[in-house]
Amino acid sequence: MNPFALIIIMLTVVLGTLIVMTSSHWLMVWIGFEMNMLAIIPILMKKYNPRSMEACTKYFLTQATASMLLMLAITINLVHSGQWSTMKPLDPTASIVMTLAMAMKLGLAPFHFWVPEVAQGIQLSSGLILLTWQKLAPMSILYQISPTINPTLILTLSILSVAVGGWGGLNQTQLRKIMAYSSIAHMGWMTAAMMFSPMMALLNLTVYIVLTTTTLVMFMMNSTTTTLSLSHTWNKTPLLTTAILATLLSLGGLPPLSGFLPKWMIIQELTKNDNIILPTFMVIMALLNLFFYMRLTYSTSLTTFPSTNNMKLKWQLNPIKTTTYLPPLIILSTLILPLSPMLILLE
Amino acid sequence: MTYIVFILSTMFVVGFLGFSSKPSPIYGGVGLIVSGGVGCGIVMNFDGSFLGLMVFLIYLGGMMVVFGYTTAMATELYPEVWVSNKAVLGGLVVGLVMELMLVYYVLGEVHGDVVIEFSDLGDWVVYDMEDYGFVNSEAVGVSSLYSYGAWLIIVTGWSLFVGVVVIMEITRGG
Repeated sequence: MNPFALIIIMLTVVLGTLIVMTSSHWLMVWIGFEMNMLAIIPILMKKYNPRSMEACTKYFLTQATASMLLMLAITINLVHSGQWSTMKPLDPTASIVMTLAMAMKLGLAPFHFWVPEVAQGIQLSSGLILLTWQKLAPMSILYQISPTINPTLILTLSILSVAVGGWGGLNQTQLRKIMAYSSIAHMGWMTAAMMFSPMMALLNLTVYIVLTTTTLVMFMMNSTTTTLSLSHTWNKTPLLTTAILATLLSLGGLPPLSGFLPKWMIIQELTKNDNIILPTFMVIMALLNLFFYMRLTYSTSLTTFPSTNNMKLKWQLNPIKTTTYLPPLIILSTLILPLSPMLILLE
Repeated sequence: MTYIVFILSTMFVVGFLGFSSKPSPIYGGVGLIVSGGVGCGIVMNFDGSFLGLMVFLIYLGGMMVVFGYTTAMATELYPEVWVSNKAVLGGLVVGLVMELMLVYYVLGEVHGDVVIEFSDLGDWVVYDMEDYGFVNSEAVGVSSLYSYGAWLIIVTGWSLFVGVVVIMEITRGG
């Protein structure tokens, strides 16, 4: 893409999210969402083939519908309260409609059908922006309206998302679809936390963004999009197999790694509020997620497929691909669990 | 004349049915033009004369013209009219039936209160105890868009510019 146009479009994506996060007028929030959606379409369409055009169309249709639901919620709030301020509590009807709009934007079940298909049709770098940056704006709106969210609605969305994210990813070999279902499941955990402690939802969002960025940058490093090509990593960059192992297990939520921190905090907040069945169900569904991450690590790091001896080591050339911040990201995505006592500062 | 806003809003919805039943875009444009004109009438019934004329001038005279030219460039060999395809005709008929049922419901049973009250919506002109008598909030609103609403002007101007850049990028192809 022309660099000048790319700068303008990237700036608008960032500006749209910032406007959503910092506006005190609901109309500006809606404008921010529209700017964000409009500007990310050419980023999703880096390659001009019918597959990516179909993915962009699906993304555009669902996000536009969600923006219209948001506008409906804003109008209902305006009619019932007479003002446009985001600082005041939302009218209950407006809150339900706005929660549904944000659920469509995030890809929560039952509005999750676009996430795997859009993630599969676009480049890995576009998928990175889709799964990380695009979650910031809707989560900030959910955070702002969290005092007035209908608990039944959001916990239903959350349970469905965790279940769909677990079961949907089981039969996948394409890495982008696996990351999409991982995103759905993590969004389910975040919205469950939003009900009881919005701060833990933000913690989960932060850790999830770090983990997903790490995983996708590692995939981008070798341009792998299938499990099969990921299983050749031992031949191309052997050091990466360890990093993929650690990051994927962290994404699954295993204890000494970072990914355990948000799950632990969320379960703690839920049980503090006398919810036992919900976290039990969510943890059991998270085992499904862990299973397909384990399958990836099994084929990548823990086993090597049989090959002839002259293929055992590739000629190690200088790498051309720039992997942005990969070492700090790997450290952040595996080693921040000992920092968990610092959460006491949030009280 | 009491019910003029109600009649105009019914015509507004019927105009929307004209394009949301998905004929070819050229024919959908007819629905947009009708709805635009009727919307202007609705806005004018609340003393919004300036904004109503803005609808005609900018929306119909600017945006619809551009839309008409672009759909004329993208014509297909066998365009869909409302009666050519059973799906389109079915959508139109279902929408019309739903609208008629709603009109009957509002006029008969509920006396004008569906979701919100339509009876006491007020006007834009405020006969207030100001220094100079009447305040036309509509004109004041448009002018304050450039003073208090400077940030909104910047954001919407930037969005329109980025919209054109995005459309150029997408349609550029390989």
